[in-house]
Amino acid sequence: MAPTTRFRAFTGLALAGTLAFSLVACSSGSDEPAASGDDGGELTTVGFVAVGPEGGWRTANEQNIQDAFSTENGFDLKYAPSSNGDQNSQITAFTSFIDEGVDAILLSATEATGWEDVLNRAQEAEIPVVLLDRGIEPNDESLYTSRIAPDNVGISASAAEWANEQFPDGANYVVLEGPPGLSVVNDRNKGWDEAVSDNLVKLESQSANWSTEEAKSVFETMLKANGNDIQLVFAQNDEMGLGAALAVEEAGLTPGTDVKIITIDGTQAALEALAAGRLSFVAEYNPLFGEDAIEVVNAALAGEDVESSIVVPSTTFDSPEAATAALPDRQY
Amino acid sequence: MSIPASRSSTAVRMVTGLFHQPYVWAIVALILLLIVNLTKNPGYLGVSVNPATGNLSGNVIDILRASAPIMMIAVGMTLVIATRGIDLSVGSVMAVAGAVSMEFMNNTGTGSFGTAIVAVLLALGISAVLGTLNGILVSIVGLQPFITTLVMMLAGRGLAKVITSGQNTSATNESFRWIANGTFLGFPVVFVIAVLIVAVLAALVRRTALGLMIESIGINPKAARMAGIRPVGILVSVYIVSAVLAGVAGIFSTASVMTVEVAKTGMTAEMDAILAVVIGGTSLAGGKFSLTGSIIGALLIATLDKTIVYMSIPSSATPAFKAIVIVIICLLQSPRVRSMFNRRRTRVIIAEKETVQA
Repeated sequence: MAPTTRFRAFTGLALAGTLAFSLVACSSGSDEPAASGDDGGELTTVGFVAVGPEGGWRTANEQNIQDAFSTENGFDLKYAPSSNGDQNSQITAFTSFIDEGVDAILLSATEATGWEDVLNRAQEAEIPVVLLDRGIEPNDESLYTSRIAPDNVGISASAAEWANEQFPDGANYVVLEGPPGLSVVNDRNKGWDEAVSDNLVKLESQSANWSTEEAKSVFETMLKANGNDIQLVFAQNDEMGLGAALAVEEAGLTPGTDVKIITIDGTQAALEALAAGRLSFVAEYNPLFGEDAIEVVNAALAGEDVESSIVVPSTTFDSPEAATAALPDRQY
Repeated sequence: MSIPASRSSTAVRMVTGLFHQPYVWAIVALILLLIVNLTKNPGYLGVSVNPATGNLSGNVIDILRASAPIMMIAVGMTLVIATRGIDLSVGSVMAVAGAVSMEFMNNTGTGSFGTAIVAVLLALGISAVLGTLNGILVSIVGLQPFITTLVMMLAGRGLAKVITSGQNTSATNESFRWIANGTFLGFPVVFVIAVLIVAVLAALVRRTALGLMIESIGINPKAARMAGIRPVGILVSVYIVSAVLAGVAGIFSTASVMTVEVAKTGMTAEMDAILAVVIGGTSLAGGKFSLTGSIIGALLIATLDKTIVYMSIPSSATPAFKAIVIVIICLLQSPRVRSMFNRRRTRVIIAEKETVQA
């Protein structure tokens, strides 16, 4: 049976090789948890259970947190990105941070549910947990110290108010949503629906999965289905708004004059498009709140009372001039 | 029954003849979907010249354009499935091809025709390399196609992220953009390219013995080898073809928006491709395959996606709607359900004959 054994060994080797190849390829986009052992006594150890590479906004957010919790500021940050947005990998990282006995944990949860057990364990170990950006469901404020995030409801409400001003005589509009069921999508819908005036008519609302390509395809069909009679698009992220702008141009219309497009996030690409007049309104969803996070962590470690919800202020850009002015120091 | 027996039996024979085409239900569903759209707007199928751009414009044109990438991966998938394999990595290969071309054009930044050509060649080249890896692992090493291409699916997405350092990357290049957005004699260039590629491939597979060899490997690899067919070469080339076609699809979908979205380009495209193949009547068990069927399947999926938006079906209901349509088609195609239909029909025929005789 020698040839069979040899063949098996070869197959096994090849399988190991491919697995190694895939693992290298998968993990090389994201750094391993920083295992720096120099805990000089004066450094505060903070574990960061993060989402990992996802898009422009997330990269800016996580980079900002890592820059803020630097050694110069007295922190030793252990960064643990999820593997492709998998919640299990986040829970594993979270529990290992508890076992290591870090001083505080920062959490950007990929999924809203299923965090009760590990949060309870952190509480028993008396480790303060600060939620960054993403909240948890059910939102039991006794389980964590504080949540720092921009206000999705308020941001889309400000977009709706701008739309009300632009179209005092009413208009037809459509909504390009993210994947159904996400809390971001629900909040952005809620803020918009509450603030938008009655003479703006919602023709339809479709998901384009945060994607430029899908948004272009979806909006191209929406234009056809409504005989080009759409004056306004509310795109729930920048990428989808840019896709809608492409579809408008393809249909021989001019974005900005024939169809006005609103987007949320405020990435560099969107501001460039706003400066060029292809988008009409960009509401920022501010990713830069590393300083706020430091304050909260320090206060919690000092035993002070911390507010359970901290809203990060975000701005809006409503003209090409505003975008041009903001572009030079755009960090994301 | 007033119809004479002879006439009714020829009609029945024609109907059963149609039933033997596995993709007949896909055609029926395609026509039904178009009718559903027509009920919303009788002008749905109208194609007109857009006064602003001078191109043909209309829902049909949109469907043709949207079907081009699905057609590419579905045709590749058909050949792989015919050999009793499967290629789960097509979506990731799309992302890699898109990432390579966008990153290259973004860095050179000349926007010239030459840059576009190099970007296309680079994208197709790296796709071919990934396809070769798949082919070698399946044919020479003897790994399961499912596992091999699953690994490649994960690795490919990782590779795309490495190439673009995890960022969505955009570029400007008019020639590259023209591939997805341009028109040739009024028709979308993507569709023309897709049809040409399929025509060449179909001629290659059906006018030579290649198609038969692929089928024979799928039906009985041992017997095929005994009959003198070398499976290694054919398997490797089939996986290369599938990956290169996925590369073409990746170019199509990134050129359409001139951006590669590393986490989204080609996401779940392998599912669309497998569905198109199954709807087209090719069995996942390997063996006989139908390129025509897969093309009809790709057209059906594109039409279904467009119909969902056109009919303003709420976004939370779209997956369910899509699933229901596809389940119905698959049910109607399953041999057991079809034989039930046929049995019923034969019983009716016999009953008719008896009444005529009596």
